[in-house]
Amino acid sequence: MSTTRRNTSQRLTLAILILLSVTAITLDYRGEASRAIRSIRNGARDAVSPIQRVLADALHPIGDLFSGAVNYGDAVRENEQLRGELGALRREALENETAEHQLQEILNEQNLPYVQNIPQLLAEVISGPSSNFQDTFEIDRGTSSGVGVAMPVVAGPGLVGTVISAGSGTSVVQAITDPGSSFGVSFGTPTSVAVAYGRGTGYPLYLANVTADVQVSVGEAVYSSGIAGAALPAGIPVGTVSSWHYSGGALTKTVFVTPVADLSGLNYVTVLQWFPAP
Amino acid sequence: MTGRASLRVAAVVCVTVVVQEGILNGLVVGGAHPDAFLVLAVAAGLVAGPQTGAVIAFAVGLVADLFVLTPFGLSALVYVLVAFGVGVAASLPAGRSPYSFRLTVALAGGIAGTLLFEGISLLLGQPRMPAHELVVVAAVVGIANVVLVLPATAVMSRAINTGPPRDLAAVSGGSAAR
Repeated sequence: MSTTRRNTSQRLTLAILILLSVTAITLDYRGEASRAIRSIRNGARDAVSPIQRVLADALHPIGDLFSGAVNYGDAVRENEQLRGELGALRREALENETAEHQLQEILNEQNLPYVQNIPQLLAEVISGPSSNFQDTFEIDRGTSSGVGVAMPVVAGPGLVGTVISAGSGTSVVQAITDPGSSFGVSFGTPTSVAVAYGRGTGYPLYLANVTADVQVSVGEAVYSSGIAGAALPAGIPVGTVSSWHYSGGALTKTVFVTPVADLSGLNYVTVLQWFPAP
Repeated sequence: MTGRASLRVAAVVCVTVVVQEGILNGLVVGGAHPDAFLVLAVAAGLVAGPQTGAVIAFAVGLVADLFVLTPFGLSALVYVLVAFGVGVAASLPAGRSPYSFRLTVALAGGIAGTLLFEGISLLLGQPRMPAHELVVVAAVVGIANVVLVLPATAVMSRAINTGPPRDLAAVSGGSAAR
């Protein structure tokens, strides 16, 4: 009897909690409540950001070490390629390698050739993806620094993502590899346009709408298209064609693009203060 | 659960926020990182049983939802289901075996939580995660759960003040308070 009552009580509690969760999800999909939830989320992120900054500064070198250990195979291949180029560039060992490394990363973010006259803002990456189901990262600049939703974010050689949420002191950036990310790109001569879709962390982007008659070659550079109404300004390097495939008779080609920027080890990025045309 | 116990659980959740947002988010392996909030939900189910465990997991899920951009309440729903399932499993006679049960439940909870999250996300119209990435996420979260569940259970047990963890009590012949 008591077991039955306890089981009933447990099931009732479970049903109430499921109902509450579903209610919260429903509210998030509605206009006014969604805005309130967004501002609460931004506030929570801003509240935690000072701790994140401290931990990010302390843990970046450890994170680099960890990343290097995990991606050992890639590191070895890359090392072999770079070894030949290093001879001319070798110089005295620096007393503080970590500080020099960070300084170099910041300097790399200055004078980006493809930015042209778009105002830019340097930001530090203070946290990796909060969810395993979204390829995002958090930066230490928000609306108080002039960051807004939909602004492009670049790092060194090219595009890394766009701002999808901005609090007063922090912002969340959706990486171009996120499965929910898509934007217009151009490539080749004569110029062809397509839509690039993210396929998850560590995987090349997929180009859709590449018709069968378009000439594609491996290694070809791909840029943001910037055509009217585009979400990104024109001419930002996105990546290079890593492979393409065409099945005879199909209307389109399957094209994959490897991002030009290394999205796995971002410490500093540049926010381009540019909004898409309304 | 008493008011003091609730405060202690709230403190544990606050520490988990710092650990997750400040440290674990950066420990990315193959595009996935450990989920300390899910570990806490599993620990709540193990220590407090299906009913109280699910309530704690709901609160943990709402806090976790503040730091992600997936639909608000989705983590709470998943954690409730995982904690309830873990609590039911822990209340079965087989659940009274020592640590191996706890580790197995943690692994299963990590994998089930990942698959539930993806399944409900798809129902809500969120972008589909590629299958290869889903496998990696489930593996990383499951293994991290195994690594973290014993300390999480010990902390949760102290916070709720249920006495020694149940499996330890079973091994030593004692009885855990509920």
